[in-house]
Amino acid sequence: MNGDAHVSNLIVPRDQNGMPVPMTESEHIAGLKAALLKDIQRSAYVYRVDCGGCNGCEIEIFSSITPVFDAERFGIKVVASPRHADILLFTGAVTRAMRMPALRAYQAAPDPKITVSYGACGCSGGIFHDLYCVWGGTDKIVPVDVYIPGCPPTPPATLYGFAMALGLLGQKLHATHHVEGEDERSEVGHPGIPYDIRVEVEREARRLAGYRSGRLISDEFLTELQVGGGMPLDECVKRMLSGEDDPRRTEIITRLWDICAGVAKG
Amino acid sequence: MLKLLKIISRAGEATAKYPFAPYPVSPGFRGKPELNAGQCIACAACTTACPANALTMSTDSAAGSRTWSLNLGRCIFCGRCEEVCPTHAIILTPEFELAVGKKSDLLQQATFNLAACAECGEPFVAAKEIAYAADLLVQSGLTLTDAQRALLSVCPACKRKATIERDDISQHLSPEVKP
Amino acid sequence: MSQTNQTNVGQGYVDGLRARFPGAVLDESWQTAEQVTVTIKLDSLPDVVEWLYYDQGGWLSVLFGNDERPLNGHFAVYYVLSMEAAVKSWVVVRALVEPQRPEFPAVTPRVPAAVWGEREIRDMYGLVPVGTPDSRRLVLPDDWPDDLHPLRKDSMAYNQRPAPTSDIETYTFVNDATGATRDVPLGPLHITSDEPGHFRLFVDGEDIIDADYRMFYVHRGMEKLAETRMGYDEVPFLSDRVCGICGFTHSVAYSNSVENALGIAVPARAHAIRTVFLEVERLHSHLLNLGLACHFTGFDTGFMQFFRVREKSMTMAELLTGARKTYGMNLIGGVRRDIMKEERTRTLKLVAELRSEVTALVDMLLSTANLHQRTAGVGILDKKVARDYSPVGPLIRASGFQRDVRTLHPFADYANQPFSLQTEEGCDVLSRVLVRVREVYDSFAIIEHALDNLPAGPVLVEGFAYTPHKFALGITEAPRGEDIHWSMTGDNQKLYRWRCRAATYANWPPLRYMLRGNTVSDAPLIVASIDPCYSCTDRVTFIDVKKRTSTTVPYKEVERYGRERKHSPLK
Repeated sequence: MNGDAHVSNLIVPRDQNGMPVPMTESEHIAGLKAALLKDIQRSAYVYRVDCGGCNGCEIEIFSSITPVFDAERFGIKVVASPRHADILLFTGAVTRAMRMPALRAYQAAPDPKITVSYGACGCSGGIFHDLYCVWGGTDKIVPVDVYIPGCPPTPPATLYGFAMALGLLGQKLHATHHVEGEDERSEVGHPGIPYDIRVEVEREARRLAGYRSGRLISDEFLTELQVGGGMPLDECVKRMLSGEDDPRRTEIITRLWDICAGVAKG
Repeated sequence: MLKLLKIISRAGEATAKYPFAPYPVSPGFRGKPELNAGQCIACAACTTACPANALTMSTDSAAGSRTWSLNLGRCIFCGRCEEVCPTHAIILTPEFELAVGKKSDLLQQATFNLAACAECGEPFVAAKEIAYAADLLVQSGLTLTDAQRALLSVCPACKRKATIERDDISQHLSPEVKP
Repeated sequence: MSQTNQTNVGQGYVDGLRARFPGAVLDESWQTAEQVTVTIKLDSLPDVVEWLYYDQGGWLSVLFGNDERPLNGHFAVYYVLSMEAAVKSWVVVRALVEPQRPEFPAVTPRVPAAVWGEREIRDMYGLVPVGTPDSRRLVLPDDWPDDLHPLRKDSMAYNQRPAPTSDIETYTFVNDATGATRDVPLGPLHITSDEPGHFRLFVDGEDIIDADYRMFYVHRGMEKLAETRMGYDEVPFLSDRVCGICGFTHSVAYSNSVENALGIAVPARAHAIRTVFLEVERLHSHLLNLGLACHFTGFDTGFMQFFRVREKSMTMAELLTGARKTYGMNLIGGVRRDIMKEERTRTLKLVAELRSEVTALVDMLLSTANLHQRTAGVGILDKKVARDYSPVGPLIRASGFQRDVRTLHPFADYANQPFSLQTEEGCDVLSRVLVRVREVYDSFAIIEHALDNLPAGPVLVEGFAYTPHKFALGITEAPRGEDIHWSMTGDNQKLYRWRCRAATYANWPPLRYMLRGNTVSDAPLIVASIDPCYSCTDRVTFIDVKKRTSTTVPYKEVERYGRERKHSPLK
């Protein structure tokens, strides 16, 4: 019974390979949308369509409508049925199992409506973009008006996305394309420090303090050494450590000091 | 009921002011990755590390160029690109206002020139990567001769051939069998 | 036969197996001091699993298949048992299946907890569990072609998308209602009409007789992805996204599975930092669930207040990891960020604030008459049902069982942290609320203690030897319960196999027994008490077995009825 493909089971239009094609909307409806935008700036009803996400997005949408972020200040109300929706909010990468339920919700919402694609999964399929059980993003099944990237988008990013969808805030992000300029050259970090020392210090700093704090501390350490100029290593480090009130930083800097001394000897 | 009212009143004005005031993200917040193209050597380490394939590198040999792309729609904001970049060219900024109307606005790109191999003339690596490698060798204490500098612009296949000839390795190889 | 150098914990179980089933054990191999994999004759599979389960204090944590034809010419099935009697360890029962005879004797008739795992093996490998009472699809969608089994090594590429075979759902729902037919006609399905939902409640008036539900709408294909496009060190970021609520717990379980397999000694500081992040995640999840408990008992102001204070745990996550959710902090061998003085101080301050705010709210919640009336005696998880189905987390602890991975099989730094295994005897929704409340306070204590005692040294170890075809388990306790991962390393620095079992997977099967005997208006609260992914149930179909009618309503409508208790959607 599962998987018998007889004609009555195929409802959505297909291309010549049997793959479903996304819904499209007519120009007439696109025109109505502009009018809708003006109407709903005061209060917008949002229906969430879960297309098989991990629920991280659901959690942040939830947070956006609770007191700390309070999307209801902008008239955004979550409704229980697509029939009452002005805005459809799609989360998830569109799993195979959710394709038809999502389309049914889309059909049920009256035109004109605004579709928002939420999170990396909605925008493009995210980390799952090419998996066998996923179609790869909201616009694989329905036309999309606004994309909100994030994994998951934070509540402020969500508010921003909605405000932008409602025409209350302008779009900040645009495509960019840099082309290599004349004499463009990458700078070597800490050019005054011998290569071996720099590399050992940076690697050990990352092992000790992770990529972020490790980088900050090793940069600080190497800059001190460079600026110290002729000052002996020991004095340089002692100066760094005096007045240090974070014991962890003291531990790390001391260890980097050992590394330096070791490399210098060997 | 009274208990509840007390809690609510003590909570005060809990709502964040955003978007009417900027939102204070924590230091180290993982927002939009930003490429400082000047620092990029098009080595593609970030594209290898990216778990979501948001970062990709494509090569156009005919045009002699290599293009780095970031699709912010696929980005999962993990920061692995920042972690592996050898020149600190890409870092995650606190920027989170990333919503767009057109999908194409999510694409950030940078195109770099490929250097041609001094021997065979095929483009094989970003010119900036060669320059950077030379600078690293200098930082490690080498004074590069002209011959050594020239060798940096030779592609790996030609380098292998040159090594075999220079070191006369052919004397150790079996004679070539003619079909 | 291979053995580790340490004393093997659980050797007694293996020796007992050999004595009880002479000739059945073909091989014994130890992955860690507490994990042994015993290969047995296929025919002995149900006997062996049943004996370990009911006679030796074992619980079935996960079972899965593996296509080992490239390695040894066979498929393999693995049944992972958490041994929780006097000696706590892991016994993995493994059996090989001939490719020419792709079937194996089902364990489900002896151990009900095996039902979903065996259905999944059939979906993914095409191996038939002979004698199983339930042979419906589990994870593959209705529009998936028959005879295409994704996890076979030679069946398909990970990114191949077969054309949908159907645009309408074809799943059959079952029920055990006595005196009623199994097939209640529901009429034709059409794209624009009310479609049957993920939940079927079989009722007699307002009383629930039985329930069936369809999960796995979220099946994406992650296990196959981990074998193909991703390297083993990218999979932590994938595992973060198995579930958005307890993603970091999954990421630790995965990392542990590979670290155990390769014998990597993770630095002490990394274990401690993982512990802090794990407890921060537990806080946000439990506070969410407590907020929902308020919501479903009609106490919406309490709901909003719990959400307000919960924001502090999200801020904690952001300042420690750079993101409120999906922390992305694990690599094989340790973590990616350290905790410096500034972050420590701010986190401790937030913990103190949270503790006093939560105390006030919990006081209020527990003293509302409404709460007791709505939750005491409701949604009982009977002890026998619990023992048969191996559920996990606060759900099983509220039925009196001592099951918490942090205590039974300590991981990360839990062996050094101050907390207790919290249980209740009521077996009802109220007991689950009480367990979660006490665990919130334990989380505060653990975070403070861990931050006050962070070991010196690195947060990440590098330079370990990567060896293909090593395997082991990684097990953690998520807010909802045990997460268990099994990884086998492969060639080319990619995984050969990754099996990831989320806590809720173990908790759905007994849910129908918890619903029976309750009323429709209690259903949303009972479902919420197992703390599931709450968006999995958007429509419910009620089938009145006496009147032979069916009604489909949005789940939100049932929730409203649960809170207000007026205007039943069934009328």
